[in-house]
Amino acid sequence: MSSRVIEVAGRKVGLVERGDGAPLVYLHGFADLHAVRAEPFPFHEALARERRLVAPAHPGCADSDEYPDLMTVEDAVFHYLELFDVLGLDRFDLVGHCVGGWIAAEIAVSHPERITSLTLIGAAGLFVPGAHIGDVFMMAQPARGIDYADLRAMLFARADAPLALDLFPNGRGDIDDEVRRYQMLRFGSFIGFKPPYFYHRALINRLHRIACPALVIAGDRDRMVPPAIAKAYADGIRGARGPVVIPGAGHAAHLEAPDATAKLVTDLWVSPNA
Amino acid sequence: MTPAQLYCWHFMAYPHLPADFDEKHDSGWVTVPNRLWDAEASRDLYQTYIDQLAYADELGFDGFVLNEHHQNVYGLGPSPNLIAAALTQATHRGRIVVLGNLLPLHMNPMRMAEEYAMLDMMSGGRVIAGFAPGGGPETFNYDVPSARSREQFWESLDLIVRAWTEDGPFIHEGVHFPLRYVNPWPKPLQKPHPPIWVPGSRSPGTLIECAKRGYCYFLSSRSHGSATGRAKDQFSDILERHGRRYHPFRMGILLSVYVGESDATARAECEEGVWYFLKNCLKGHLRTEGRQLTFGPGVPYIPTRAWRQYLETSKPGRKLLGDAENWEELEASNSIIVGGPETVYRRLAELVEKSEVGNLLIQFHLGNMGDDITRASMKRFAEQVAPRLREHSARVFAERFPESEEDMALAGSAQ
Repeated sequence: MSSRVIEVAGRKVGLVERGDGAPLVYLHGFADLHAVRAEPFPFHEALARERRLVAPAHPGCADSDEYPDLMTVEDAVFHYLELFDVLGLDRFDLVGHCVGGWIAAEIAVSHPERITSLTLIGAAGLFVPGAHIGDVFMMAQPARGIDYADLRAMLFARADAPLALDLFPNGRGDIDDEVRRYQMLRFGSFIGFKPPYFYHRALINRLHRIACPALVIAGDRDRMVPPAIAKAYADGIRGARGPVVIPGAGHAAHLEAPDATAKLVTDLWVSPNA
Repeated sequence: MTPAQLYCWHFMAYPHLPADFDEKHDSGWVTVPNRLWDAEASRDLYQTYIDQLAYADELGFDGFVLNEHHQNVYGLGPSPNLIAAALTQATHRGRIVVLGNLLPLHMNPMRMAEEYAMLDMMSGGRVIAGFAPGGGPETFNYDVPSARSREQFWESLDLIVRAWTEDGPFIHEGVHFPLRYVNPWPKPLQKPHPPIWVPGSRSPGTLIECAKRGYCYFLSSRSHGSATGRAKDQFSDILERHGRRYHPFRMGILLSVYVGESDATARAECEEGVWYFLKNCLKGHLRTEGRQLTFGPGVPYIPTRAWRQYLETSKPGRKLLGDAENWEELEASNSIIVGGPETVYRRLAELVEKSEVGNLLIQFHLGNMGDDITRASMKRFAEQVAPRLREHSARVFAERFPESEEDMALAGSAQ
């Protein structure tokens, strides 16, 4: 099984599934599966060698229906609780990137007993004074009508890296990919634009509820989510590993350094208490 | 038959930018540094602009148009209702059009219901109530989540109209603006309510919602090629599907005009203001140079399927009005019409014939244009263009829209 569409509370949800074994739920960000491409990246494939990967597209993204009542991150949390019920996922490992990391952290604080491990990669979601999450919406407006260098610079270590140029080309890219990017911006706009911008003030004081092994990963050149936010996650979650900084990687560390990032995650699974 | 209605639109641009502004700054919007604001040089600015609109009233324009924008050099009207209040005192005949108040930016739509009602009472029923959802720049400078702004807009507007027409107090069970006591004092003078105008740029959603409610649709595009006529045809079809008929006063268009003494002198007189407007005021809005914030993936307010359609039918980086590199390109965009009275008349008459739009919203002051030449252009327009244009348009409309006068007068307030 690879990709399918299921129904959750009357809404269609697109899923990518790979591998066997204990379930792993992956929630995507902007430079990611569902948001730029239909197929999983090497990072996701690496995780799927150890676990049964379940990667839903957020409401409105890829094959998932837009969810008209989605107003806040809490609505996204309940959407996913419904999805877990439909899929019969009781306990699972949880990995999220960027906005997906934020939603993963919210799920983990509300239902800590269901999460066997939590990994956050470039996760948004926390308010730390002076540490402002970058404006991905303004950067998504191309300079001179065609140039996405500033968006690439926000999401990757280098705006001119081949991967960044491949996923966010100047001019007009593949129309299906362009539509995926637009859908992700719309989803981000629903839960993350206002107010506040991609964070939930109450979350930081709830992190201590997370009881499972946890790992916080950040690219050392992340220009969307400041390092202080990764540190606040690692400080707030009891016993969390990290923040583990990936040298030379940007916000999309899992795409830019897939082997190193995937190894950190699988190491957490193998030896959670190391 | 009612002739074309000629409105004087004032954007109230900031005219004191340094000469190297375009070279040094990415945008005239949102992030344009406000250390450039020169309060001393601008001491009389609002008064000058208000006086120009009062002069438009003396010259016999059918009304004056104001709009709301924030944090930009294009239009210094973050609160257009303040200027409208001044116009209730400074003018006596023309309609006062605010086009429009940006509803999703205001925490409580009732404030807009109240302010318009006050303005309508203060002006003797001269208000045309325009409402807009806000464009891309407001998404950033007022933190309006763009994907929600359309539904917030229609909820607000429907509530305002209900507040004007139904007895209060009543409870509004809204999604975005739930209210327990809706009961505005005062209510507007005009019955059932002031005409309502809503701007749009041909997005089907806005056309349909306007058609359903019988509101006047204002096409916000500044260029008038074949798309203007297509917008009218599209609106006309949609109106028919909703049991209404198109007539010229169901739509408005925006254009800029400079009337010189003759074709030979006109261009030289206005050119500085025109280029200031194009290069500085439109930078960040209708110019690709720098970063345009008005439309695109970062302000994802149109539904996904409409975005796909846009991608399939457009070319990336296509030129916008502010990208015009020379006078010939500018002329071809049919946006800023410059010439002696005869030329301006001829081009506007042709635009009226082709577009069949009855509300012409005309910007006379462009960029840093001086007061004297702005007034001279308005005067030539009022004396040498408007009379012929009114006569000609009345004849064209009578031929093509032989329905009753009464029907037309209701445009924008028909329930």
